[in-house]
Amino acid sequence: MSVEEQMIENAKEGKVLTHKCSSCGHLHLSTVYYCQKCGSKGFEDSIIEGTGSIATYTIITVPPAGFEKHTPYAFAVLQLDNVELRISGFMGGIATPDDLPVGTRAKITGFDERGIIIEKQ
Amino acid sequence: MCFVEKVCVLGAGSTKYGKLADSIADITTQASVAAIESAGIDPKEIGASYISNVFGIADKQVHIGPVLMSRLGIPDKPSLTIESACGSGSVSFREAYANIAAGFYDCLIATGVEKVTHTGTEWTTTYFAYCSDFFYEGQAGASFPGLFASMARAYLTEFDATEEDFAAVAVKNHDNGVLNPKAHMQKKITVDDVMNSAVVASPLKLYDCCPFSDGASSVILCSEKFAKAHGGDYVEVTGSGRGGSPAALQGREQMTTIPSTKIASEAAYKMAGITAKDVDFAEVHDCFTIAEVVDTEDLGFFDKGQGIQAIREGRTKLNSDISINPSGGLKSKGHPIGATGIGQVVEVYDQLTGKAGERTVKDAKVGLTHNFGATGASCAVHVFQSV
Repeated sequence: MSVEEQMIENAKEGKVLTHKCSSCGHLHLSTVYYCQKCGSKGFEDSIIEGTGSIATYTIITVPPAGFEKHTPYAFAVLQLDNVELRISGFMGGIATPDDLPVGTRAKITGFDERGIIIEKQ
Repeated sequence: MCFVEKVCVLGAGSTKYGKLADSIADITTQASVAAIESAGIDPKEIGASYISNVFGIADKQVHIGPVLMSRLGIPDKPSLTIESACGSGSVSFREAYANIAAGFYDCLIATGVEKVTHTGTEWTTTYFAYCSDFFYEGQAGASFPGLFASMARAYLTEFDATEEDFAAVAVKNHDNGVLNPKAHMQKKITVDDVMNSAVVASPLKLYDCCPFSDGASSVILCSEKFAKAHGGDYVEVTGSGRGGSPAALQGREQMTTIPSTKIASEAAYKMAGITAKDVDFAEVHDCFTIAEVVDTEDLGFFDKGQGIQAIREGRTKLNSDISINPSGGLKSKGHPIGATGIGQVVEVYDQLTGKAGERTVKDAKVGLTHNFGATGASCAVHVFQSV
């Protein structure tokens, strides 16, 4: 399985596959091949829960092709719990900023043609 | 670093930016001829061309370089096309700069071009999203307005800023663009116009966003020796820096700053032997109103979180503390993405050689260009000085 396929399979289980640097301990999403801090290639795979809080987001009303039927929707960046790591994804059913204050608890719930799917907890 | 030659800009030209009827090859040539005539050189003196372009495929013409060289009567001269999303122009300029500095060529042409408006909003929104880290962003429905809107949301959360403050950036740049005959949107707007325009990606509204534009810009770069021997107006390139940022917003610890801008500008300031305080005016990458606020902080003109106060107090208006985007910027002048970085150099050349007309920055000696690709994943900054 490619690194993207592994990320997708974990997202479908509500998890995030991460790479922890064997040399310096810096944590990355598993699509990174060399440590961004120390340059080392050795990583330990670590599967973490896809839960966290919304770091920032937008509600898109002029969508790219393929997203017309989902509009409006949110594109959000999720701050994952207990780690210095964020991951972004698609959030359906968000129409106004009142629906999604920054800091809202959310979690990864799947992956489909809309990429990584995030929902409110 | 070892430089053989000082590098100068000897001539500059642009088409009008906007919805253009002529083909991509036509507008590339029109801008290039304008630059050649501005420099007063013979095309045969050009050693090679650097072409910045992203979506040539939209107008059925990639590999534009040889087409341009053929039309300029120099089909034997080499060319190179460079893609770095919306930052293609400044990256191409940097490559041309480096080749003159290293002594490979005495004289080069750098031309940027984009022709996309005929494809419509959905095509451009969709294809521009391919400039993001697609697996994490474009694939999840992020548009470019959406990515910058995410930065705007973070800025509103972190600092004392309002959507009206962002709107003031658009108002200022339209005020400048009215004075620029080449600008795509030569009309004054008000804060209410911005606030009442349709939401594209909240909190950004239509008038927070630069337009999709067609256009081409071109400059002639040469060694100082060549410029002096040749005569005519020229400006010196005194600093050149590049930088990178994590490709996706999620990779950045702070989403209210663009790391590549800091890296590129620090390198450019160091090479030029100046600090941000020495810059008289700057053409910065204001693809969205939030971007200009963030840029003016990352370039060191204002402290983090204070860029918004500077806008509120009018400190970045034409001929105020520091003139930001005297051309009207991407917001009003327009954003033909492959041309934008070169178009900024055209503005600096015009300003520092007394050709900027009503929008002249008074007594300007030092100008800066700042241009990035995507959400600042790639960036180049250049510093120019009048001679």
